Amino acid sequence: MSGWRIAGYGRVDRTRPMRFTWDGKALDGLAGDTLASALLASGEMLFGRSFKYHRPRGLIAAGVEEPNALVSHTRGPGRFTPNLRATGVELYDGLTAESQNRYPSLRRDIGAINDRLGLFFPAGFYNKTFMWPRSFWEKLYEPAIRSMAGLGDAPTEVDPDNYTAAYAHCDLLIVGAGPAGIDAALAASATKKRVILVDEQDELGGGALSDPALWRWLETSTKDLASAANIRILTRTTAMGYYHDNYIGAVERLTDHLPEPGTAPREKLWRIRAGEVILAQGAIERPLVFEGNDTPGVMLASAAKTYLHRYGVAVGRNVALMTAHDSGWRDIFALADAGVNIAAIVEYRDAVSPDLVTEAAQRGIRTELGASVIHVAGRHAVSGITIAANDGVLRGKVGCDALLMAGGWTPSIHLWSHSKGSIVWDEDWGAYLPDQPHEKVRNVGACGGKWDFGSGVYPGMLPTSRDTARIKAFVDFQNDVTAKDIALAVREGFKSIEHIKRYTTTGMATDQGKTSNLNGLKLASDALSLPVQQIGLTTFRPPYTPQTFGALAGHAKDALFQPVRKSNIDDWAEEHGAVFEPVAQWRRARYFPGDGEDMLAAVNRECLAVRSAVGIFDASTLGKIEVVGPDAAEFLNRMYTNPWKMLEPGRCRYGLLLKEDGFITDDGVSARLAPDRFHLTTTTGGAPRVLGMMEDYLQTEWPDLDVWLTSTTEQWSVIAVQGPKARDLIAPFIRGIDLSPESFPHMAVREGTICGVETRLFRVSFTGELGFEINVPAAYGRTVWETLFAAGQAHGITPYGTETMHVLRAEKGYIIVGQDTDGTVTPYDAGMEWAIGKKKLDFVGKRSLERSDIVADGRKQFVGLLTEDPREVLEEGAQIVDDPQQAIPMTMLGHVTSSYWSASLGRSVALGLVAGGHGRMGGKLYVPMADKVIPVKVSETVFFDPAGERLNG
Amino acid sequence: MAKSIARSEPVPSAPLAFNGATVALEPPLARYSLRARNAAGMESILGRSIPHRIGETADGISCLGPDEWLWRAAFGTSMPDGSGAPVSVVDISERQVAISIEGPRALDVLLSGNPLDLEKFAIGRAVRTIFEGAEIILIREGDERFVIEVWRSFAEFVWGVVVKAAAEH
Repeated sequence: MSGWRIAGYGRVDRTRPMRFTWDGKALDGLAGDTLASALLASGEMLFGRSFKYHRPRGLIAAGVEEPNALVSHTRGPGRFTPNLRATGVELYDGLTAESQNRYPSLRRDIGAINDRLGLFFPAGFYNKTFMWPRSFWEKLYEPAIRSMAGLGDAPTEVDPDNYTAAYAHCDLLIVGAGPAGIDAALAASATKKRVILVDEQDELGGGALSDPALWRWLETSTKDLASAANIRILTRTTAMGYYHDNYIGAVERLTDHLPEPGTAPREKLWRIRAGEVILAQGAIERPLVFEGNDTPGVMLASAAKTYLHRYGVAVGRNVALMTAHDSGWRDIFALADAGVNIAAIVEYRDAVSPDLVTEAAQRGIRTELGASVIHVAGRHAVSGITIAANDGVLRGKVGCDALLMAGGWTPSIHLWSHSKGSIVWDEDWGAYLPDQPHEKVRNVGACGGKWDFGSGVYPGMLPTSRDTARIKAFVDFQNDVTAKDIALAVREGFKSIEHIKRYTTTGMATDQGKTSNLNGLKLASDALSLPVQQIGLTTFRPPYTPQTFGALAGHAKDALFQPVRKSNIDDWAEEHGAVFEPVAQWRRARYFPGDGEDMLAAVNRECLAVRSAVGIFDASTLGKIEVVGPDAAEFLNRMYTNPWKMLEPGRCRYGLLLKEDGFITDDGVSARLAPDRFHLTTTTGGAPRVLGMMEDYLQTEWPDLDVWLTSTTEQWSVIAVQGPKARDLIAPFIRGIDLSPESFPHMAVREGTICGVETRLFRVSFTGELGFEINVPAAYGRTVWETLFAAGQAHGITPYGTETMHVLRAEKGYIIVGQDTDGTVTPYDAGMEWAIGKKKLDFVGKRSLERSDIVADGRKQFVGLLTEDPREVLEEGAQIVDDPQQAIPMTMLGHVTSSYWSASLGRSVALGLVAGGHGRMGGKLYVPMADKVIPVKVSETVFFDPAGERLNG
Repeated sequence: MAKSIARSEPVPSAPLAFNGATVALEPPLARYSLRARNAAGMESILGRSIPHRIGETADGISCLGPDEWLWRAAFGTSMPDGSGAPVSVVDISERQVAISIEGPRALDVLLSGNPLDLEKFAIGRAVRTIFEGAEIILIREGDERFVIEVWRSFAEFVWGVVVKAAAEH
């Protein structure tokens, strides 16, 4: 029990007590507290266990830089957040939090054995150990290390919260509302600029909140800013990343501090585009490196001052200071003036400003100049320190219950670094400062080196008479990196900080080395006897502080995760029990199971209905492009493999589209509506790609052509009616079109009306049956569908889905691009020589079709595969060999691309790509499976109605 | 052409009113995508002048690009098809739907998913942009009234995000 609340101090509201729970224990705090300040006021010193050695740890800081006090926050099912800094958790009545990385309890943690075994955990430990036997890594070493090392538990439940996001634009963004940021905002308030001021804390002020002398100014300034119409103030908002062109990501925490979070969004992701950015991020105090500097109760002097002035909490009753910087003296004087007993000031420097010495003497404080703390007594809390002169002479032991460290200040250049601003070493600060900007950005206040904290020196590791190889003096508290780890890395040959960092993990914890980077650099510099500038500095990367996945996802959750595109007929399918499948961004009805039917039964029924009567299918998702202009035919002639210029208006043609490399990339049936107007169709998934590819050619290769492309995919609902009764079904509803086979043959298009709505009626078939594809303006799709479905009852109409469509087309040997092709299949490979215009001078991919490897023998070619046992259905993707007795690994000839049960044929059918397949007709091949070998016969690809008579019915 | 049979739309037909913003599906319109090498080429077909600057709108025709215009007109309005001329006129009346957002918070709601600087987006302006990753055309019809034109199959998603953002206050 060390910390305590001091009467008359702090900004907390003593009239509003807050009850909270810590590790199951009920405690009291005040409105305005953080979890850290409330625990400290309750006398808690122990906040957690360290990452690697499980050493007891207390608070080091009062702000975002806190490396030790990581806690888990629970507020009902799913609302569990691990690894929060206790210094950033605002207290509310009923808050429940727990410590982490300890078992069975924070005080008695069996993992602490690691601390005794510390000699066996050197830097690079994971790389050096656990290498053998190799197979142990995945099953034993890694799981064991993961459960021992570490941070809090990952949440296991679905997050019930929702998150929101917004874009914002401003002429000036100010990051940080400490004195410098507020001054900048006040200056901007007199302009017409749109200003956004963000600060991560719950109220404006930053460092001024810990300085009562500034409170009156702060109050006035805050009011002025609040009343300035041009300034938007965002508190509890962390600017976490600085991206190109002054684009800043910030996360606003909306409900975490409320007793009842309700249903409002928990966090808001702000994406801010700023004309200019002013960074006012301040500076972070640096710890000193000495044995025992991680004992609970050893903390930054600035933190003690913040706990005193902002929260009215004294960090101890008898406090000592280890300092190398003037600011430590000022901070401990503040504690002394609040009535805290000061055990000693230990100053590394041999001499300091006489004013400081005088002021210490006036307060009756023992001072030890030219000296360092060489040992800290106490395990769960500081009980005393041992002081020695820097030349090794012992100065004695002093009892204390808290030890403050003042190692100077590190300007926060995190966002500056994100923005790619350059930095320059500054000896006075012992730190890197911003130099040349890369964006339109300025620094004000301490983060730009423009703040007077007094002077100091930067000793690296404090002198000690003890064996430095046997003591733990921490550099990176969160990742448990000690001074000797860095010394070891240097001894083992690492010279760049980039390597030292990765080998020792200094600065690689979730705090990104906010308190450790500079000490790590200094130690490496000392060990290498090289100036710091030659060792470099690692790059800061977003986020500045850890953020939730929810905040980054914003709206993109559940139904809003991404668009699910649905046709106008989708609702009908859902109402009629369709099972859906995703096809690109669309969802499509896969089959319509009847009572008790599985997929196979439903698909068999649907297939037979199409072949014997009529089926109805939603083909709306097919890509559609309207190609219009005097050069439309010329353009298509250049794009597709086959000739288009002579196609008559009113007729359709199958188009095969290659890429420059000669491989099939898309296909579809397209119609010429007028001399200068075509209605193209593409595959569902290929629509955006094909439009993009065509636009690319039009804009870059043939800008002289007068032709334009318009996506009309969504203009039309497309209803395919397929089967021998298709014409009978639609005839009563069609006006203005002669449906007779003589005037409206297969592969023709007509314009007229259906059910009173305009239609582009295609006579096409992807099933091998008499078929029509009825295009109607999208909004009427469902009504036309329902009208046809009702009338079709007399004809045995059956709705079918994509699975049945796949079976029907496979029976006819029609390829599906992307299933039967894989980006390495030429038209020759696919057996589609007929689709190539031999007399055409050029088309996309033509030259590639003459390449030696394209015309070589032995390429994989598209063939039919019939199993010897007609009941055996091959597995799609299965490999094909010619000799199943050969040694493994076998020579694979190809694979099965499509395989189905064909109800119409009463047997299985399959398609595949087989090396030299076209020359193997009738030959026997084998498909080896895990449990058997399946013999197959190579066949032609058309299994059903090879003469195509049914199409022309 | 008179259409007497029922339409179905991808989002609810009834407006949804929230604090400071009302979200509604707009009635059907005739829409044509007009393409030509330049405005003059299209003007000769239409027999009227059309805007030359991207983002400008005049009498329902918005200039979306150097060679692209969108004509929004009363439902059922027909257009010369430009047959034979070096232009492209394509009926896209049903390709997209219009969702209006109106009220003092309309701008805030749009900023939940649109990256443009809408405070500087003049009344009458129409541009192709995105909303929460989906392509839209955004039109400012008044100080507090915006219209999103979005392809049908993306409308449900865009509507969902708009309604979520509108409901958040």
